[in-house]
Amino acid sequence: MTPPLELRDVRKSYGDFVAVDGVSLTVPPGSIYGFLGPNGAGKTSTIRMIMDITAPDSGEVRFFGHPRTSEDLRRVGYLPEERGLYRKMTVTEQLTFLGEIRGLKKRDLLPRIERWLERVDLAKWAKSKVEELSKGMQQKVQLIGTVLHEPELLILDEPFSGLDPINQELFRELLVEHRRQGRSVIFSTHGMDLAERMCDHICLINRGRVVLEGELQQIKRRVGGNTYRLVAEGDLDRLKDLPDVEQAVANNGVVKLMLRPDATGPETLRRIVEFLNVHEFRSEEPELEQIFIKAVRDAS
Amino acid sequence: MRPDNIVVVAKREYLQRVKTKGFWISTLLLPLFIVAVTVLPALLIGMSETRQTIVVVDETGRLGAELAQRANSRDGKPKPDADKRGMAVDESQMARFDVRVEPPAANRETQRADLNRRVLAEEIDAWVWIPKSVLQGDRVEYHAKNTSNLFTQDALEDDLSYVVRRARLAEAGLDPERVGELTRQVRLDTQQVSEEGSRAGGGVGGMLFAITLFMILYTMMFVWGQQVMNSVLEEKGSRVIEVILSSIKPFELLMGKLVGTCLAGLTQLGIWLGTMIVLTAPGIAAAMVSLPKELNIPSLTPEMAIHLLLFFILGFFAFSTLYAAIGSAFNNLQEAQQAASFAMLFLIIPVFIMYSVINDPGSTMAVVMSLIPVFTPLLMPLRIVTQMPPYWQILLAYLFSLAFIWGMVWFCARIYRVGILMYGKKPTFQEILRWVRYA
Repeated sequence: MTPPLELRDVRKSYGDFVAVDGVSLTVPPGSIYGFLGPNGAGKTSTIRMIMDITAPDSGEVRFFGHPRTSEDLRRVGYLPEERGLYRKMTVTEQLTFLGEIRGLKKRDLLPRIERWLERVDLAKWAKSKVEELSKGMQQKVQLIGTVLHEPELLILDEPFSGLDPINQELFRELLVEHRRQGRSVIFSTHGMDLAERMCDHICLINRGRVVLEGELQQIKRRVGGNTYRLVAEGDLDRLKDLPDVEQAVANNGVVKLMLRPDATGPETLRRIVEFLNVHEFRSEEPELEQIFIKAVRDAS
Repeated sequence: MRPDNIVVVAKREYLQRVKTKGFWISTLLLPLFIVAVTVLPALLIGMSETRQTIVVVDETGRLGAELAQRANSRDGKPKPDADKRGMAVDESQMARFDVRVEPPAANRETQRADLNRRVLAEEIDAWVWIPKSVLQGDRVEYHAKNTSNLFTQDALEDDLSYVVRRARLAEAGLDPERVGELTRQVRLDTQQVSEEGSRAGGGVGGMLFAITLFMILYTMMFVWGQQVMNSVLEEKGSRVIEVILSSIKPFELLMGKLVGTCLAGLTQLGIWLGTMIVLTAPGIAAAMVSLPKELNIPSLTPEMAIHLLLFFILGFFAFSTLYAAIGSAFNNLQEAQQAASFAMLFLIIPVFIMYSVINDPGSTMAVVMSLIPVFTPLLMPLRIVTQMPPYWQILLAYLFSLAFIWGMVWFCARIYRVGILMYGKKPTFQEILRWVRYA
């Protein structure tokens, strides 16, 4: 199967500032693809180039196995990070317009809009102006606007930021449903928990460069063979001073330890018991956050 | 470029504007206003039967009766021997009187107090005291509760002057009828010369006609340009722009916006010009009794109206493209307003030279200015409604304007494309010019 989206060595500078520095990635079909990185890493700049809102200085964007055409963009559902609606339009007018600019006809759109509004509990607001809606309702309208034309690929920039828990669940449901239909979703986020729960593929980007890309499980096995869970009492801060410890993130007495590749678990444990009262120490899969911190440190 | 995208955007812009109450209020208000100042006064004269009851106390004993006879016979039409003859609409023509003459009583103070009491009791509206010395002096007392009814006082003053003057002439041994005959005013009978031969028109009426149409076009270009700017600012401010740009190119969005808004403006202008064609049609204009004959409002011909609509389209595209570029470059209305007032300069200069163009539409200055593309959309229509210019000049104006618009669209679209995605600091003029050079 052809990948729905590929980037080949895409670059973009704004003046002297290099925002995107040679990003290449491949989104596999039927996947939820997390586009991760700290704020200012170049996620939004990359997504804007994918959507042809800005032009790359060099490099290539390919959709569905061929160089991008304007027709391809109509098969994509895009939700930008900064999102808005026309305040003076009614919900139905708004959604009709968003459907029409993707090449759909009004008569085909109206029943779809009705179905969607029904589903997200907005049916009785169909004729209300957007400015009369609460923020949560506006978010639902934005989401419908993104999926209304039944896109084959969803590209969502920080979709979960600012959502209330109910809408978060709604968004999550829709993404999973989309994948179940064999289509792909790309979403950017700086929240690692969420990406860990939802993504099967990730791309980690920092300072405009890809630092890690691939299937999440493979990355975890490859990067983090040396992570442990430690439950102990004592001065946990001293863990960071041990030469074998690369990262120690403590939370309620539970410490996620990442050791240097050449260190071994039993050896490290011997040193730890010298100053801590250890209740539990066992090998564990690394969390995405640990991988992320390590990757960013290694890269810089 | 996809034309279907332009159509979708234009449809949205048009419907969003035409569907508002404000659009229809402003569209219907102007024709109503024109009807109000032309047809309504005529109707009102017929209806205003409220006569002013005035008691005249005449010390001379011979002016009162003549004044009563003259004042009571007012019927809304100027008298042939009146001092003033209607320049434009003269509201003093609407005054109606019921003048009663009363002789001066032995005790003047008691009589005056009694007259004041009658005014306060609203038995009479006013009383007038004509002193013996009126033939030598020029003062007559007027006492009333309402002293701000200037038109009524004006009419009464006219009538008083008339009878006093006749009395003075008679006293000097002159025949008042003969003097009136000999001192009759001379009036210009204005005829406009055009290809189709002389026709009635021009003069004050022609000037009012030209100014009205000019101001309508001026206001339209200004207001609709601002509308385009606001709509660009709204899309940018609400961040809806980014979703739209993922499906539509900036140029398509700009064109759709201009076409849709222009059509809304044309709808409005079309309604206005249609109303004016009907109202100024020869038969109908004559039927408007309230317009004095001297006014001679020229007719708006369908040919003129078509030129006006076409020049509105040209002017709209030239200015609104600039307004769109300004809207795109800034973050909010306050920031944009300053640059917008700069754009307005091109609209204001024609206002300054409007009178000299009306005065001499064929002058070298008028011809040259009306062919400069930034001024053409206002000045060429002004010349057309004042005096039809030679066809080659109109054609040249269209050609120059089209070339100018092409350049404006090219220039402004390049600013717009960059501007709509620029947030943050207010850009400097140099920065905006740099955007034009971006590939």
